[in-house]
Amino acid sequence: MKNAYIWVLWLINTIIFVLSTRNPIYLLLVLIVLFTLGNHKAKAQHRKAWIGLNFRFLISMVLISSLVNGLFTHIGLTKLFQFPENWLLVGGDITLESLIYGAINGLIIGSLYLSINIFNLALSVKQLSRLIPRAFHPIGMTATLALTFFPSIQQRAREIKEAQMIRGNPMKKISDWLPILLPLIVTSLEDAIILSESMTSRGFHAVSRRNNANLAVISLVFGTFSIFSGWILNLYAYPQVISIFLYVVGGSIIILTLIKKGSEFKVTHYHQVPWQKIDILLSIVFLTSIILQIISAVFFENSFSYSPYPQLSMPSFNIGGVLLSAIPILPILVSDHD
Amino acid sequence: MINIEGLSFKYPNTSQYALENVDCQIKQGTLTLIIGPSGSGKSTFLRCINGLVPHFSGGTISGKIDVFGSDPINDGPEMLASNVGFVFQEPEAQFVFDIVEDEIAFALENMGVTRTEMHARVDEIIERLELSSIRYRSIHEISGGEKQKVAIASVLVTNPKVLLLDEPTSQLDPISADQILRLCVSLKKNTDLTILISEHRLERLLPYTDNVIKMNNDHNLNMGSPSQIIPHLQNLPPVVAIGKKLGLNPLPLTVEDFPKNVSSNRKPGIKLVQPVLQETNSESILEIKHLSAQFNQEPILKNISFSLKQSEILVLLGKNGSGKTSLLRSILGLMDSVGEKFFKSQNFSDLPITRILNQIGYLPQNPNDLLFAETILDELKITLKNHGLEKTDQDLIDFLQQFKLAEKLNQHPRDLSVGERQRVALATVTIHDPDIIFLDEPTRGLDYTAKNQLSLLFKEWRNFGKGILLVTHDVEFAAGLADRVVIIEAGKIIFNGSPADAFTKFPAFHTQTARIFKDSEMFLPEHVI
Amino acid sequence: MKKTLTGILTNIFVFLIGLLSLLAPFILPQARNTEIQSSAFPIVVSLIIILCLAIVFIETQSSVLDNKMIAFLGVLISINAGLRFLENAIPGPAGFSPTFFLIILVGYFFGSRIGFLMGAMTMFVSGLITGGIGPWLPGQMITAGWVGQTASIVSYINNKLHLKEKFGEVLVLTLFSAFWGMLYGLIMNLWFWPFLGGGAGSSWSQSASLLENLGKYGAYYLATSVIWDITRSIGNILIMLTMARPFLKVFQRFYQRFSFHSEGSKPS
Repeated sequence: MKNAYIWVLWLINTIIFVLSTRNPIYLLLVLIVLFTLGNHKAKAQHRKAWIGLNFRFLISMVLISSLVNGLFTHIGLTKLFQFPENWLLVGGDITLESLIYGAINGLIIGSLYLSINIFNLALSVKQLSRLIPRAFHPIGMTATLALTFFPSIQQRAREIKEAQMIRGNPMKKISDWLPILLPLIVTSLEDAIILSESMTSRGFHAVSRRNNANLAVISLVFGTFSIFSGWILNLYAYPQVISIFLYVVGGSIIILTLIKKGSEFKVTHYHQVPWQKIDILLSIVFLTSIILQIISAVFFENSFSYSPYPQLSMPSFNIGGVLLSAIPILPILVSDHD
Repeated sequence: MINIEGLSFKYPNTSQYALENVDCQIKQGTLTLIIGPSGSGKSTFLRCINGLVPHFSGGTISGKIDVFGSDPINDGPEMLASNVGFVFQEPEAQFVFDIVEDEIAFALENMGVTRTEMHARVDEIIERLELSSIRYRSIHEISGGEKQKVAIASVLVTNPKVLLLDEPTSQLDPISADQILRLCVSLKKNTDLTILISEHRLERLLPYTDNVIKMNNDHNLNMGSPSQIIPHLQNLPPVVAIGKKLGLNPLPLTVEDFPKNVSSNRKPGIKLVQPVLQETNSESILEIKHLSAQFNQEPILKNISFSLKQSEILVLLGKNGSGKTSLLRSILGLMDSVGEKFFKSQNFSDLPITRILNQIGYLPQNPNDLLFAETILDELKITLKNHGLEKTDQDLIDFLQQFKLAEKLNQHPRDLSVGERQRVALATVTIHDPDIIFLDEPTRGLDYTAKNQLSLLFKEWRNFGKGILLVTHDVEFAAGLADRVVIIEAGKIIFNGSPADAFTKFPAFHTQTARIFKDSEMFLPEHVI
Repeated sequence: MKKTLTGILTNIFVFLIGLLSLLAPFILPQARNTEIQSSAFPIVVSLIIILCLAIVFIETQSSVLDNKMIAFLGVLISINAGLRFLENAIPGPAGFSPTFFLIILVGYFFGSRIGFLMGAMTMFVSGLITGGIGPWLPGQMITAGWVGQTASIVSYINNKLHLKEKFGEVLVLTLFSAFWGMLYGLIMNLWFWPFLGGGAGSSWSQSASLLENLGKYGAYYLATSVIWDITRSIGNILIMLTMARPFLKVFQRFYQRFSFHSEGSKPS
């Protein structure tokens, strides 16, 4: 499943679900799913200790979150102990519920991090760059160059360090790094000149022929402002409809502007990502899941919610939630072709 | 065809012309060799043809250039891109993408070619240049020669009419260089591509060269057929030098051209001079005993033993991957190894290299790696400071005389030519008067004059008592210098002896002279009378 | 630098919007009645920040980003991403980050837009390289972008005070980098804050006043990251004092030797 767009759908689906539930059962399920999928992908790429690293991160997030919430929020009925009331901010009851609530937040952060991490593992740099709208072609090229150059710059830094050490550089103070960084940057910039000559000689133009950038920028600003206002109004409990309208207007302006800007770069792509049947199937599954979640969130009460307040209780679960938690595992069924 | 009339060009912020009133015509399908000392304008000339000069470089230009109907001066390099391909000197610096086939497709992507057409053209060029085995590889994994091949493929993919190559092999070892030059020859033979290549390595190309352009120091050029230009060069390739000496007519330009009867020594009147072996009975400064090293569980050095004496220039030869670099790195302590290393009878096998630093000087493969100060004087002072030494400014000026840099001591090292920068780097690693000097490929990118100057310098040092260990691919350079030769193959020493034996008995390291006069003891033009 | 009206306006807009989004938790505590909204909070903030980034990118592309600058930036970003690894590898005090001095110097010399790109793309590329893209990447990108962007103000100041080529120039840059050493941490935590909270009974409460919320944030900041930020500032000071002058000289030489498009920013 190599297509970047499918993975985007997967990511959106996973994120929406993770953010909309505070049910620790679902979250734990999702985490298990993510660790399994991630491990599978990491092994295929010979990345060591992927699970270990990410697990440590998860635990630290849970702990931090738990502590922060526990110390600062004093709601809940199960008191663990009490700081004197007059202590700044932490004064008051430290309750089990708020610790649990914080821990759940940690699980959410961990899940978000894991999903993005898996997204990054699943797609190569070239595939990721396909996601960047053509309107950003020059910036995308800058990033590509930075990535391509990285190994050779590392190598060169090592060589310079050796040469300077043999010349007698003690490598103790910060200023001892100058003999390494300066030649590194000078030689690399000289290479950059050659690189840009090479790119130019092969027809790369960064500056698009027509320069009506001002119009594009203004419309993007307008679109962003529209979305921003929609959000603010929503927060101030104005009717939902107004916000949705603003979102749609803003979003459309932005998308249209980007498409128009993109068409100014007459660039085609060498790589064609083939769509296989399974790809289409999975996309439909993810898309449906996303739509269903949005609908249920907007029109129905969230049936996947859970709150430890006011008193800690066992979370319930239903088949819908379990299914949604499991959907992110689907990519594991598809082996990477090519 | 390419038509140039009255071309003059000045770089920005300079008053001197880089090219002055240049006229020339180059016909389609020809191979034109561009030669000349560094700084004479070869790169500038090439860049005029595809418009990089003046559009990229800035500066003022006048005159007319016509490249198969296009006007690079007015149109600029992006417009010329589909018709003119440019290959640069640094293999690494040309790549945008990580994967070989992506890089090849880059030019087509920029031109908005349809996907099907792109695939067809990329497949075709990969086939033609025999790159299928590395098609999906990362460019960081392939060799220098392969990189340049990919660079050539990525410009040929647009089916250009003109191919420009700016010293494409100067950073490559001889085998890779040969690969590239043979590719150029095959392009010349099998297509009607118009090729302009600036090069120092002439031999492979000369049989197929139609024109030679010699850039002069007066910012103009001479153009003619190889036999018109080559014999009048200041620095003659060995073949030509010998031919001249023997008074041959017509003058042979390549080893194959050399008349067989002469080379087999049957023509009367030619006396062969045996080279004199230089024996030294001096002390050994460096002794290496039973040195072995591994990398990733693979042995790369196997039981190496040799010594370097005072007043000796020892040349280390070996193919790429033979272990030369590893040997040097092991001795310098940059790589783990087992075995014994003695410096003037003092065992430094287990000492960190820092202990004996002030006795050794090391010039790395990329001398630019060392330079970072504002002036040459400052660079020298930095090394002195590192070693806790002090010298007066006058001492330093005197020191710089031997490098022919004394007048430039306040110049910024990066503003100097390649050869001068090389010598600055050399000065900074020898200012503390070390007894041993290690040199790793010092002749990369240097022209004949610069190489000759280096050669004289090393001989002077040797006469002064220093021991010099020279790792190089440049056989002609080494032949003119070596007191002794060590040849490494697959991590083992397979030869340790006289230069005469090394350069005449090992085909991989034959000099041109040795190839002309097979089975003789001659390996330098001077040996022929 | 040739500042167009659009350029200036977009700079201001992006800055304001970005800032507002970050401060929203403090200014708008009475929002978020439903769980969905509060969970979506960090996502919407991310989205808005991404849009702000897009605006600056589009603007920069059409003004200062020509072929040479692309290669230049690409290489500089690559070097800076490498320096970021040193951040993890050097056994120095936590928070010691050699990444910022290059961002500041690039913004200082080449102008606010290039500086912004340098900061934002360094974060992006090093995230790609390590595979450590977290949901806070947009926040990192825009904050690092601001570091580079505001560095051009320092250039303006140094000009006015006639400090160029003197030690004073380096001093002002050093103070600036120390300032950002602290501010970066402060802003990044602001960014992180909504992830830790949101929803009923969260780290800030809906009915609490602005001051109380600020207080909670302050305590959180003190507890978690102030040590990091102080070491980062100290690190920045030391690095900038040593590296500023030589690096600026390098930029100067390159600028002179390889003439950049007149559309691009000139050193002020």
